[in-house]
Amino acid sequence: MDELEFRRRIYADPNTTDSDLVAAANADEKKRAFWQEQKAFDNKLKQTLKVDVPEDLASKLIWQQSADEFSRYKKRSRWYVAIAASVAFAVGISFTMLQQQSISLGDHALAHMQYVDVEESHSLLPVDLNMVNAKLASFGASFDTMIDGVEVANYCHLSTVQSLHLIVDTPQGKMSVFVVPSRDNVKIPSEFEDDSFHGESFKMQQANIIVVGNKGSDLSTMKDAVANSIQFSA
Amino acid sequence: MFARNKIDNTQVLSSMKAKHQRYEALVKAFHADIFRYAYWLVKDRSVAEDIVQETFLRAWRSLDALNDEKAAKGWLITILRRENARRFERKQLDLVDIDDVFILDDTQQAEGDIKERELHRLLGTLSIEYREPLILQLLFGYSGEEIATQLDLNKNTVMTRLFRARNQLKEALEKQNQLRGQANG
Repeated sequence: MDELEFRRRIYADPNTTDSDLVAAANADEKKRAFWQEQKAFDNKLKQTLKVDVPEDLASKLIWQQSADEFSRYKKRSRWYVAIAASVAFAVGISFTMLQQQSISLGDHALAHMQYVDVEESHSLLPVDLNMVNAKLASFGASFDTMIDGVEVANYCHLSTVQSLHLIVDTPQGKMSVFVVPSRDNVKIPSEFEDDSFHGESFKMQQANIIVVGNKGSDLSTMKDAVANSIQFSA
Repeated sequence: MFARNKIDNTQVLSSMKAKHQRYEALVKAFHADIFRYAYWLVKDRSVAEDIVQETFLRAWRSLDALNDEKAAKGWLITILRRENARRFERKQLDLVDIDDVFILDDTQQAEGDIKERELHRLLGTLSIEYREPLILQLLFGYSGEEIATQLDLNKNTVMTRLFRARNQLKEALEKQNQLRGQANG
């Protein structure tokens, strides 16, 4: 093996154990010395390469891993929360939308007529103008004069709309007057009926008035009486 | 059904714990040499530290892909080289590296210290093609074949580069000794 080839291969890897290199070195003291010199140089290089490592690097690496895990966990749970929130939001919206769908109050008014007898038996006190007006006040309305024959004055709910329900005894039998505050989403048919009752409604400034009586009875007297008596504050 | 869930949970927990232990073992075994490798690639301690952090973060995220513990070293080196390349894609720093500029420093007194510093600077001046195989060989004890596999090079190319790397260092040292000799004489 010539000198150049030997040097090339030792330079490429001073720690080689190739048998032909070992043999060449054993046969030649100069080659042996060269090899030793290269090994010593390599040790110096290794020392130089071993730069100081930042003391806290290992703990930083372990810490950043747990931080990464935590932030990913958080992201993951945020994702679930987002889904849950969206579902809740959608449900909420649909409920509100359902609630906002227009309600027709005619049927509700008729349904209330079934309870008139029950209602009546609860009211022992006579109804006077002050009491009716006190209840009408929440609708911004009042009666100038008392309507004859009012037996019961009570708040009731026609669907979701709070209204005042008056039960009036008239020569034509029991009639009901509902004072229903005007709301955009409330539709009140001007006439409606079922097997035993029929009703008519009319609109005033801030409220709808529904009058319901027995089938065949004339509601116009009562309608006029209410229309004439009721006043709305501005 | 509940009993099975419970077992699954403990299995998940214990596999999580095992993964943590694996990662910590990986950090302890390799962080120092991986940092040194990064340092000699970029020649900047804080950049090297950033790259090492990125490397270990990626290693943690894909730890399940590491099946053979013996391959861990090469695996980490591969991730690190990719991270380093990514850094260059992001931003090509156009700075003059002071280590690359030849400055003859005669103010150093202690002979041993000078040698160490000079060698450090000279290693930095080697071009990356020569420096990287040399670092793999000296720092990780890689054989020529292993370096060739790691750097995706032909083995003869690797051996030539290793030879040239040491040859350049030797020549540079001799040249400096001559210069110093002239200056002192």
